[in-house]
Amino acid sequence: MAKKGYSIERKQAKWGLVFTIPCLIFFAVFSFYPIINALFTSLTNRRAISRTSDFVGFENYVYIFTKDNGGFPLSNSIRATLIFTVGTFIPMIIASLIIATFLMQLRKDKYRGFFQLMYYTPAVLSSVVAASIWMIMFDPRGLVNQLSNFVMRTSGVDYNWLVDSTMLQISTMMIYFWKYIGYFVILFITGLASIPNTIYEAATVDGSSRWHTFWKITLPLLKPTTAMVSIMAMLQCLKTFSTQYMLYQGGSSRFPIDVITMNIYFTGIRNGRLGRASAMSIVLFLIMLLFTYIQLRLTRSSEDVEY
Amino acid sequence: MNKFVGKVSIVEVLIWVLLIAVLLFTVTPIVFMIVASFMDAKQILAMPFSWIPSREYFTTADRTFFTNFQKAIMGNNDNPTFFRNLFNSLVVAITDSFTTIFLASLCGYGLAKFKFKGRNLIFLAIMSTMMIPFEAIMIPLYMVVSGMKMINTYRGLIIPFMVSAFGVFQMRQYLLTFPSEYIDAARVDGLSEPGIYARIVVPNSKPVIATLGILSFRNQWDNLLWPLLVAQSETMKTIPQYITKFSEEKMTDEGAMMACAFLASIPMFILFFTLSRYFLGGAAVYDSRKG
Repeated sequence: MAKKGYSIERKQAKWGLVFTIPCLIFFAVFSFYPIINALFTSLTNRRAISRTSDFVGFENYVYIFTKDNGGFPLSNSIRATLIFTVGTFIPMIIASLIIATFLMQLRKDKYRGFFQLMYYTPAVLSSVVAASIWMIMFDPRGLVNQLSNFVMRTSGVDYNWLVDSTMLQISTMMIYFWKYIGYFVILFITGLASIPNTIYEAATVDGSSRWHTFWKITLPLLKPTTAMVSIMAMLQCLKTFSTQYMLYQGGSSRFPIDVITMNIYFTGIRNGRLGRASAMSIVLFLIMLLFTYIQLRLTRSSEDVEY
Repeated sequence: MNKFVGKVSIVEVLIWVLLIAVLLFTVTPIVFMIVASFMDAKQILAMPFSWIPSREYFTTADRTFFTNFQKAIMGNNDNPTFFRNLFNSLVVAITDSFTTIFLASLCGYGLAKFKFKGRNLIFLAIMSTMMIPFEAIMIPLYMVVSGMKMINTYRGLIIPFMVSAFGVFQMRQYLLTFPSEYIDAARVDGLSEPGIYARIVVPNSKPVIATLGILSFRNQWDNLLWPLLVAQSETMKTIPQYITKFSEEKMTDEGAMMACAFLASIPMFILFFTLSRYFLGGAAVYDSRKG
């Protein structure tokens, strides 16, 4: 009997490995090896054309932090990325939380489902499609100017959505916000739906107003969801590429929206400076790690909520 | 009592107003894309904008109802690549969703239902790759792929996205709750281990499999950065690249640009409106990360 149990365990172990090894090999080749390789390449002067690769120490890091990299310094890219991230993910979290709370107030599931479907629709479009729609709506004679003039009670003013460097940054944020708002609303709805109804019933019995209930009950109980959603939104914003690239290809200037990923692409692929681009990749990786760490620290105290 | 009811209905009205305002915000640009794809540039940029494509633009000698769509497909050259690029996107997105389903379910099953040495280590290793953003490893990945002579090939487009750590995680979480009794019963009945996987585990994981497949499809359909690196010949480009290039060349032909965007979105629209519950559920499964 004991012998049989032993052999079953052996068999189990064998099949467990057989099932998991393919994925492990995949991640070793396409995740671990490249990140180590990036670290290594960032210490060389590797270029795409000559294929030479000499060890140069931290020269690339010194270069990307001190030189202007042909008019597009990394410091500007970090600025552009951080402004975009903060300007997109904070409004997105607040708005999607409010919208999700309001949706939960609807009495009929049918209506809620309809709204969710309609809010989510932009998220199924690809980023380049989203950007191309908005590029036309941001035209000097386009819809957005017409609406802005109507709202601001001005006439024929061009707000330079795609020209002025501040407006261009706001435009990229708006496009991103539009595309992903429905997605984050649904994440919050899932979080809200997991709060047991009995808690609300108890609050109502105790005479708590809706406003009071939201601040004192819903929001604290929703903290884990909020933490998770904001980390996701933030990481996604830090990696943005398609929207900015599309607007640049459409004729907008690169400098204000030259996010880190775009700079990596231009430096590494268009200009063939693989060593410098790798150094930028490592910087991006470290920024994302740092931000995740800060977020986790800020929200840690709320992790132990239990219903 | 009456006063109470009145107060509630004001809140209700406010809620509806806000929800409808958000609805207009999300839907208007999509409606705009669809109607503008039938208009010419003059009508798209007319002030004020009219939401119904005007008849007079179709009836001239050089314009029909589908002029914009013809332009979107033909592009600027005599050798149109629209359908080829669309086909490429479909091949990559479909292949990657199937490989993701297969590899992630296999690995998730192994991690959830088998006890073996190093299991937790393997799980942690796979999870830690979620912290490595693709954007940070694309340059070395590009060097790997070009070293393997996979530039301008389907393999080069497909292989780096064959499975995702998130997919493995999702499958594992799902299968942890799957009753082991079924698996043991199948073993007693003499079913082989691969047989159990194929005939017990996979058929019972349909919802999570559908969600994973759709997520993977959508991610690849939307992917621009990686194809920009590895698909350099016109025939190997994908649809996001086609749209980018088209909008660069046809910047002043807004109607054709919208027709191009609309055509490229049709597969996703079909998928979304037929399988919307998996899309909406797909967003929700992220939440189980927190358990």
